[in-house]
Amino acid sequence: MTSSLHLFTRLAQTHKPECIMVLDGPTPELVPAPEELAKTLGSDALAKYAAECRPIYENLRRIIGQLAGLAILARLTTRREIADLQEMQRCEARCQETAQRLSSLHVPTGAEAHKVQLDAAYAFCRTAMRTFSEMSGQAPLEEALDEVGMRIKRAYAHLQAASSEKAGLEMVDFAHSCCCCTSRAA
Amino acid sequence: MADYSIWVLEYSYVTNYHKSGVLYGAHNQGYVKLPYCYVVIKGRGHVAMVDVGYNDKDYGKTLGDRFGVENWRDPKTVLSEVGLTPEDVDTCFITHAHFDHFGNVEDFPKAKFYIQEREISKWVWAMSLPDRMRWMMVAVDPGDIVRGVDLARQRRLVTVDGTLEDVLPGIDLHAAPDSHTWGSMWVTVRNDGKKSSQDTWVLAGDLVYQFDNLRNSGAVVDVEEMYTPVGLAVGSQANLILATEEMMSQVGYEARRVIPIHEERLRDAFPSRISKEGLRVTEICLADGEASKVS
Repeated sequence: MTSSLHLFTRLAQTHKPECIMVLDGPTPELVPAPEELAKTLGSDALAKYAAECRPIYENLRRIIGQLAGLAILARLTTRREIADLQEMQRCEARCQETAQRLSSLHVPTGAEAHKVQLDAAYAFCRTAMRTFSEMSGQAPLEEALDEVGMRIKRAYAHLQAASSEKAGLEMVDFAHSCCCCTSRAA
Repeated sequence: MADYSIWVLEYSYVTNYHKSGVLYGAHNQGYVKLPYCYVVIKGRGHVAMVDVGYNDKDYGKTLGDRFGVENWRDPKTVLSEVGLTPEDVDTCFITHAHFDHFGNVEDFPKAKFYIQEREISKWVWAMSLPDRMRWMMVAVDPGDIVRGVDLARQRRLVTVDGTLEDVLPGIDLHAAPDSHTWGSMWVTVRNDGKKSSQDTWVLAGDLVYQFDNLRNSGAVVDVEEMYTPVGLAVGSQANLILATEEMMSQVGYEARRVIPIHEERLRDAFPSRISKEGLRVTEICLADGEASKVS
């Protein structure tokens, strides 16, 4: 590879510091909706899997929405004790339920990539919550909230990637995010 | 003399919306057209908006489809009807967090957004409740809250606790807690800039959907006219009535100065025209020196 091509490749793969793609983990990529796959392939296993995903979508949506709201309030009120709020405890309970649902899913052939997106959405919710609980220490609040925000957005990107319209969500559109670091490079 | 021009810009509509959704208790009274609009306020060196509509993609589109919304157009197209671009907008007042009001912040890259703190904190609470209480989350897109995280990081989101006077010169924000939503608010424009203004406009958000909420038949209680709340309230109808009274008192009980943005009959009260996209542009008032955008 020539040095100029190498530089081009590196630049093309380098994300802005606030881009959600700087976080390690699977890429939030569009995956076939299990409902559609089930129809196309006539698979009962996929249909069952799709049905079992629906409450997971809903749980993840609400966890992400809650965490996002708490992140906004923490930043604008400069309060650190978010982790002690009752809402966060309910969020934790919903997370535990989601983990159980995810672990009991039987993933049929063809749905593996979909399950990866769901797992990633859950994992980033978890790390966002962990960052919240660590905020009560002396670490700078702004930096901690930046971390939380990145994880929430990344979780949302994975959820969008995994969700289908029939399940109440549309396919992911990264046009306004920095996931490819092209749309809003300025 | 007037400091600000005000336009109501339709960006989509629902052709047949059940009237009981608009007017509390109007059961079995058919359907009405429900325009979806936002308001542009221009003057004193500012371009402000009251609400920003929604983006017809992702979960916003899902909600829009679910509510039967048609003919959606983006802000670039809609604002061009009054000679503006989304980049011209420096201030947005979000009356509440429903998807059709708070669902398109990303299209206004230079704006600072104002919303009641209670609106966010209570939605967080509502999202934490069991599924059987999910009704309290109706018409909210968690994705909008996620986008709010970035606004807060960029210091472009301001939470307000109650009334905020002169957020821009002559423009005030007023809270209506536990009414249409937990932290709804309305925007008051004192267009002569005076504290006791003789030229006040109230931009009501969804605290008033249509003129009938301000002047409805009171036959059921033997009065000629009475306020009637909108059909959707996560708070109480009583709080909607109390907010309506405060809005009306601000405009000296001149009902046409309380502007409902889901009202098709704005065309009967103010100059307006239909754009080539089939959407209405209504001119509420013009600042000194501003040319009409509808004639």
